[in-house]
Amino acid sequence: MATRRQTLAGMAAASLTLGRPIVGSAQAKMAPITVVINQSPWFDSFRKTVELYEKESGNKVELDVNPFAGSLEKQRNSVRAKQGQYDLLIMNSGWFAEMYFGGFVEALSDIDPGFKLDKDIFTLGDTVFFDPVKKTMAPGGKLMSMPISPLIPVLYYRGDLYKEAGLAAPQTFAELEANAKKFHKPPKMYGIVQRGARGPATVSFDFYPYLYGMGGSIFKNQAAGDYTVTLNSEQGRAALDYYIRLAREAGHPKTAAMDQADLIQNMVTGKTAHVMMVIAAWSQMDDPQKSAVVDKVEFAPTPHGPNLPTAPGLGHWLGGVARNVPDDRKRATVEFLRWYQTKAAQMATAQAGGIPVSAAPYREPIAQERRFRWMKAIAESLPHAVSTMNFPEAGEVIPILELGLNQAIAGEIAPVASLNSMAEQIHAVMAKYNYNTGTLPKLN
Amino acid sequence: MKQAGALSRWATFGPALFVMLALGALPLANLVYTSFHTVTWSGGQATFSWAGLAHYRALPADPLLRAGFFNTIVFAVFAVGGQMLLGFTLALLCSRVRRGRVLYRALFILPILIPGIVIGAIWKLMLNFDFGLINQITDLAGIEARNWLGDKETALASVIAVDIWHWTPFCFLLLLAGLESLPQDPYEAAKIDGASWWQELRYITLPLMAPAIMVTFAFRLVIAFKVFDEIYLLTGGGPGTATEVLSFTLYQRFFTEDRAGYGSAMAIAIIFLCSLLLVAALSVRRRPETAA
Repeated sequence: MATRRQTLAGMAAASLTLGRPIVGSAQAKMAPITVVINQSPWFDSFRKTVELYEKESGNKVELDVNPFAGSLEKQRNSVRAKQGQYDLLIMNSGWFAEMYFGGFVEALSDIDPGFKLDKDIFTLGDTVFFDPVKKTMAPGGKLMSMPISPLIPVLYYRGDLYKEAGLAAPQTFAELEANAKKFHKPPKMYGIVQRGARGPATVSFDFYPYLYGMGGSIFKNQAAGDYTVTLNSEQGRAALDYYIRLAREAGHPKTAAMDQADLIQNMVTGKTAHVMMVIAAWSQMDDPQKSAVVDKVEFAPTPHGPNLPTAPGLGHWLGGVARNVPDDRKRATVEFLRWYQTKAAQMATAQAGGIPVSAAPYREPIAQERRFRWMKAIAESLPHAVSTMNFPEAGEVIPILELGLNQAIAGEIAPVASLNSMAEQIHAVMAKYNYNTGTLPKLN
Repeated sequence: MKQAGALSRWATFGPALFVMLALGALPLANLVYTSFHTVTWSGGQATFSWAGLAHYRALPADPLLRAGFFNTIVFAVFAVGGQMLLGFTLALLCSRVRRGRVLYRALFILPILIPGIVIGAIWKLMLNFDFGLINQITDLAGIEARNWLGDKETALASVIAVDIWHWTPFCFLLLLAGLESLPQDPYEAAKIDGASWWQELRYITLPLMAPAIMVTFAFRLVIAFKVFDEIYLLTGGGPGTATEVLSFTLYQRFFTEDRAGYGSAMAIAIIFLCSLLLVAALSVRRRPETAA
């Protein structure tokens, strides 16, 4: 097992092979900064990348690491104080809008007018931009944040079993269903394990690729400000029916209780042929200390309906600079972000097991290496990734989805009743906050 | 003289009253104030908009709160009932042991010393469907594996079982202290009269222990009403709303959804309920004394 020093040396060497310095403009001595971040499967790669920055620049970066919900609470407490404790907020797709709309993060371009987003950086549904007047997220808005981790789900499948069976990676939901049924021999092997538990963003995140991949959506057109609730459309019904059928006929018998840790556990112990899971867990598949399926797992974009693209939901992380910290720390934070978006830093992130937020590493030979075989799936998926909720009240909508979907999967209520009920509740939330909203006729 | 006495009483009592107000009443007053407002954030500043009784009126229609209320009652009744029964039985047994008493006592109180997060980890592993020890044992006995925390039929019962395991030592300790402080004269008189073990328990121990039992019950009931960590760590309120409890609903509404006004109204309602419960439990204890 490589030591931390060996890993850093390896990352530095990898960067040097690109024939350019590791650090671009980050040589100037800056004020120390503090980053508030969550403990996730990708955190270790971020930590190593930060260590590389510290080594190369001589600047100090302190990491305050927390559980998912704890990170949000710390961020809220800090940004609402007169003076903030944290300079860089690592914001999840579930709450970055709250930070934008609440005026808690300062536009990067306001801190440093010379700061430009590298052309290779994924803008992830344009969620890095925000127009505070129009309250929209589009390239015309201010640059509010930098992508830190572009997390989306992909299909993990057992390549060895597929090879034995002479199958190709499934592209459509029909193919996934057929293949999952073929491998389904419970309790030794499940065709697929889905994440149906109720949590902070658990079953809803698992359901998005099904919903959007079948042409459904939660809202009619967020970008245009039309928040008519379309969850209970025919496409929504098809997606939920499919999800439940897949669970019943080719899935884990306790899908309604499965969370991400269960998915990883089932995959690495060889108990499932497929999972659709956030890409951050890829490194665990090939870790001989954790996995019984080393080098046997392959990756593909999440399946989709006929004539539709893959449509994974964004569960990404953005880095925003807190409004209420001293100017020197704001500048130091922007300096870190300037470095973070370089190709060298992104290559180092990939080498450390992270998911690059820049298209550059995906074009490099590294993407062809067996170890990084997931890169192709990510590169194909990211342009189609869907930002599901670009408004600050997402925190009220997600629990509605979590409960309704979980109840439908657990068989507590019928899928149609669940969809109608969720749509009604989401509409009530949007109406309460005066969004331009409406409903579809109830499904029968 | 009388005036000087009153002055000195206030001089000594005043600081304590001030500290009590600062620590207890002010936060509560702030909570009440927030409960009548809707809090929004813009430009980094909070705005409090008057909401009147709207948040309180919305409480009865909240589906999570309704489920949480029902489950909390079930949880409190069965968990505390189980703990009292087991704790009292263990205390009775331990009070009669002459040798190794310290060892037994240390063993019995072990679960209460374990941090909640560790208890969550222990039982999450034990009750895991695929790899859990409980299912491995039931498998050996030829019983079909169950998803203890994931099935709506067993989830709440499983959490109650974990809570009984965790908190029985609390009841055991208080009740054992009560048993050991009982006067011995009635027992000696009962022995001379030829009373059986059951008669001793029924006519001497239980009546004498009634105050200790009621206090322990009241304490545990209030603590059970506030259950959060076991739910958060083991089930997250699911599946569906099978293990939703009041504290978890409050956490969800106040913290996750960031609805400070509505969450405050819910908090006030829960505080009111807990106080009511405590008063009811204590009044049951006092009734015989008043009658006497």
